[in-house]
Amino acid sequence: MGAFLLRRIFQGMLVVLGVTLVVFVATRMVGDPAKVMLPLSATDAQRAAFNHQMGLDRPLGAQFITFVGDLSTLDFGDSLWQRRPAIQIVFERLPNTLALIGLGLGLAVTLSLPLGALAALRPGGVADRVVVFGGLFGLSLPQFWLGLLMIMFFAVTLKILPTSGVGGPSHYILPAVTLAIPSLARLMMLVRSSVIDELNQQYVRTARAKGMRFHTILFGHALRNALVPFLTLAGWEFISALAGYTVVVETVFAWPGLGLTAMKAIERSDLFLLQAIVFTVAIMIVIVNILLDVLYKLIDPRIKLA
Amino acid sequence: MAVTTHAAPPTAAKPRSGSFRPIALELWHDKAGMIGFTVIVLLILMAVFAPLIAPYDPAIQSVAARLKPPAWLPKGSWEHVLGTDQLGRDVLSRVIYGARASLLVGTSVVLLAGTFGVLFGLFAGFKGGRIDDLMMRLVDIQVAFPGLLMILLIISAVGPSLSTMIVVLAVTNWMIYARVVRGIVLSVRQTPYVEAAEMIGCKPGRVLFKHILPNLTSPLLTLGILEFTNIVLAEAAMSFLGLGVQPPATSWGLDVSNGKDYIFVAWWLITFPGLSISITVLSINLFANWLRVTTDPQEREKRFARLKAVERRRNGAPAGAPAKA
Amino acid sequence: MTLIRNLLSGVVFAAMAALPAVAASASEVTIAIGSEPSTLDPQQRDDGGERAINDNIYETLMARTPAGELVPGLAAAAPTQIDATTWEFKLRPGVTFTNGEPFNADAVVASVTRIIDPALKSEQMSYFGTIKSAEKVDDVTVRIITTGADPILPSRMYWMKMVPAAYSKDPNFATAPVGTGPYELDSWSRGESVVLKANPKYWGGAPAIDQVNYRFISEPGTRMSGLMAGELDVITNLLPEFVASVPKSEAVQGLETSVIILSTENPTVKDLKVREALNLAVDRKALAESLFSGYATPTKGQLVNPRAFGYNKALEPYPYDPEKARALIKEAGAEGKTITLVGEAGRWLKDRELIEAVGAYWDAVGVKTDIQINEFGEYLNQLFDKAKRPDAIFVVNSNELLDADRETSFAYQAGGTATSNTDKELAEWVIAARTETDVAKRQALYDEVTKKAHDNYYLVPLLNQQDIYGFSKRLDWKPRVDSKLLVKEMKVTEE
Repeated sequence: MGAFLLRRIFQGMLVVLGVTLVVFVATRMVGDPAKVMLPLSATDAQRAAFNHQMGLDRPLGAQFITFVGDLSTLDFGDSLWQRRPAIQIVFERLPNTLALIGLGLGLAVTLSLPLGALAALRPGGVADRVVVFGGLFGLSLPQFWLGLLMIMFFAVTLKILPTSGVGGPSHYILPAVTLAIPSLARLMMLVRSSVIDELNQQYVRTARAKGMRFHTILFGHALRNALVPFLTLAGWEFISALAGYTVVVETVFAWPGLGLTAMKAIERSDLFLLQAIVFTVAIMIVIVNILLDVLYKLIDPRIKLA
Repeated sequence: MAVTTHAAPPTAAKPRSGSFRPIALELWHDKAGMIGFTVIVLLILMAVFAPLIAPYDPAIQSVAARLKPPAWLPKGSWEHVLGTDQLGRDVLSRVIYGARASLLVGTSVVLLAGTFGVLFGLFAGFKGGRIDDLMMRLVDIQVAFPGLLMILLIISAVGPSLSTMIVVLAVTNWMIYARVVRGIVLSVRQTPYVEAAEMIGCKPGRVLFKHILPNLTSPLLTLGILEFTNIVLAEAAMSFLGLGVQPPATSWGLDVSNGKDYIFVAWWLITFPGLSISITVLSINLFANWLRVTTDPQEREKRFARLKAVERRRNGAPAGAPAKA
Repeated sequence: MTLIRNLLSGVVFAAMAALPAVAASASEVTIAIGSEPSTLDPQQRDDGGERAINDNIYETLMARTPAGELVPGLAAAAPTQIDATTWEFKLRPGVTFTNGEPFNADAVVASVTRIIDPALKSEQMSYFGTIKSAEKVDDVTVRIITTGADPILPSRMYWMKMVPAAYSKDPNFATAPVGTGPYELDSWSRGESVVLKANPKYWGGAPAIDQVNYRFISEPGTRMSGLMAGELDVITNLLPEFVASVPKSEAVQGLETSVIILSTENPTVKDLKVREALNLAVDRKALAESLFSGYATPTKGQLVNPRAFGYNKALEPYPYDPEKARALIKEAGAEGKTITLVGEAGRWLKDRELIEAVGAYWDAVGVKTDIQINEFGEYLNQLFDKAKRPDAIFVVNSNELLDADRETSFAYQAGGTATSNTDKELAEWVIAARTETDVAKRQALYDEVTKKAHDNYYLVPLLNQQDIYGFSKRLDWKPRVDSKLLVKEMKVTEE
């Protein structure tokens, strides 16, 4: 277990190193921040002074060394836009994104199990057809479009839910549902097919022949065995949401999370903020991946962690 | 050409002339799949023959004919069946031309990422041992990158354009092909007859073409089609965010983005391009669903999940335990 | 009446102070602004979100009427000019900051010294570059000294917010602002909202609205949804098409003018005939009527804002004459030649639409327009690139100080920020006008500048745009020429 963890951590460090390099190269390619950050009427001298002050006029090599040195102390520099430590902004916005992902994925996970299992009970039946078509349909809706339509319907026409932003609990409903739909579709289809598979297995037939009650089989065996692929996919959904797939939802609903902040940082060529966001997210993904590995070990004894 | 069937992953009935009719018949019986297939064909025709079909040049503006509603509404006219946008451009023509961006990006990304991923996976699976280990570790590393954020970062650095988007999407989407292919290669090489073939001195190239490639066709086809839908959605999302297709070119995502500011006076601006994306993706999904059931009893989500589980096992067992397909 | 309202709002205020949880009082408004302020330090940044809020917390020596006329604000009267470089301001007595600090000569000296201190690195220095120092004469008299003659110093003082002498040195100053204005900060939840409450001791009388909530929404569609759903009371930059859909709206002649700057050096456009044709080809009236639904007016042959000092009243608008334009293009041998038109999208109201429409007009008279809509950073690279000017570049100029110096040094003067001509004579006139203190002579210089640029077609001035605001039904307000969102001028009516 220890050796396994070490391996995974080492691999995680490689990921972080790779991300660091890409981030550094990419952020240095984003247009000249002085031009975007200063007013249109600023003079060239003012722009040069700005670049000097931000250390953007030093050679790239020197910038990279400072960059890596600062990273190790979680110092990403001050956001050009807000003139305060970028990491501070990241930590302010991260909870909003995590809450959105938590709620959205929570919804997807809790709904997908009963719906998928229901469909699997009688493949080809009405419930199954509804679930399969609903799943395919859910996978086909672009989130930005779905979000806009829901704002139009629930917020503007019916006026029962707020249009955008954060505030009370009701503000969570539309963004969380929008975020949940594709994940729900994927998870539901997965539960359905794994349960169908399990119910066709020899051991289930034997158990039924021996007179074991069906719901014991379903809940005791079939669903439990379907758990490993389910958790894998749910973990993957979590990671990809974290990896930026909330950007679209946050943009549509003006949700002040990391994704919207990243878009703003791009708009304003705010290198330091952008790299802080990407870097923090990369580290979180590495950690979540390691946690998932450990979780598998606990759930499925067949997986050996050397 | 007699395709030997192997114990490992399912082999598709190869669509030869002889076996085409039963397949077509089967498709005909699956109504949803048939509808999906028909829509796909129509979409492709629409994209290819856009200049012939579209009533107007999608970029032609008419400041005098702005925001005209679709024909069936009170102020609409049959000159612009689906109405006009904020610059007086014909929505129908833009929807027709928009299919080009989706299909072009989808096809090129799947081909680019697919080719690279397949070669990568073949090589890793074939070499095995340390090289395989190293190569798959590379895949793992890239998979753990914060995908979309990196895409946004790179595009904002390089500057958005159609070609940038294609390259970036390909660079961030090849890993799944590599994993699938490598898994299949490993499992096929484990089968007794391939072991035997290698033992009696069959050249790797022969083993590859005779025994491994036929096993790859079906899963790759299904995977490619499903990846295609993901790319179509990704293209739309990126164009929506302003980081994809740039005007005067058009794309459905871009049109939804342009139209969203006018949502209160001209609902048709976001409705038709949005519907087009949904219909396209839904049709492909319906068709792929049929294809999967027909050619491959294992569904993709499950395969993907298993793949991950296998990979976890592999990571746990450095000996390189064979992938269980 | 006012007395009763003041009394009432005082009572409401006391009630609110006692019961902080009570929300949604009748005199509360919610305003959507495009972006969250990066700081609430009023002297640091050049940031629209910051300005929208701090305009209600802080005040300036000079102010403007809603129509744009310069009037005394915290100054007791218009300043007097002692000599070419010295201006003397008498201050309004008895004003205090909300933390109790007095507003007096020391506060003015501190404010001026602070903003021009290089250590502050204020982004607003482009407004105050000519100011050298400030001196206290007595408690209510201050002199401001400029480096050279600066005829528009009074306008500049309309832009400089007065900060408390002692508290502005406090590290919390940037997040907990203290001013003399009608409102003070109640709370700022990052990413969500800023809440202001009325300053009951405001020298101009407590304002009618007790509480202002600011929300940060960058997408026009989302703002619109919020207004339609009844969550917002005021939204800015309303699209003209929506005027009929929103509960209420108001428009006012704005500060922004759209223009295309033509290069006088590049092939094709260096030909005067081509530049003339590009001006004649554009139907500005149709653009104003259709694209902006009438909420814009065609420019009269110049970029200078019609309300600004230095506007040339004698110039005639370029006519729309596609026939003549086509003939000119033919004459110049420019038929089918490519002209690159550089622009951006999303920064200004209908920018992309306007650029694309102009491109179509140009194509219609025989040239081939290559429209390059760039990402904003790349667009700015091209706008500021002095060595390599694009054939044509689109920009929207905003004249906050309402003085022609802004436009002329931005797009007329050779070597200016975004200028594409190399006319030395014109540049000399612009420089001379900048320091000319005689009002009549100065106007005459600007008349010459705009006339010459007009006759040489250095620019394709397009439209003076109006600012359109959407209101909820209960809100009553006449928007200002200077686009300031002054809540003290707003009222809400009971529904």
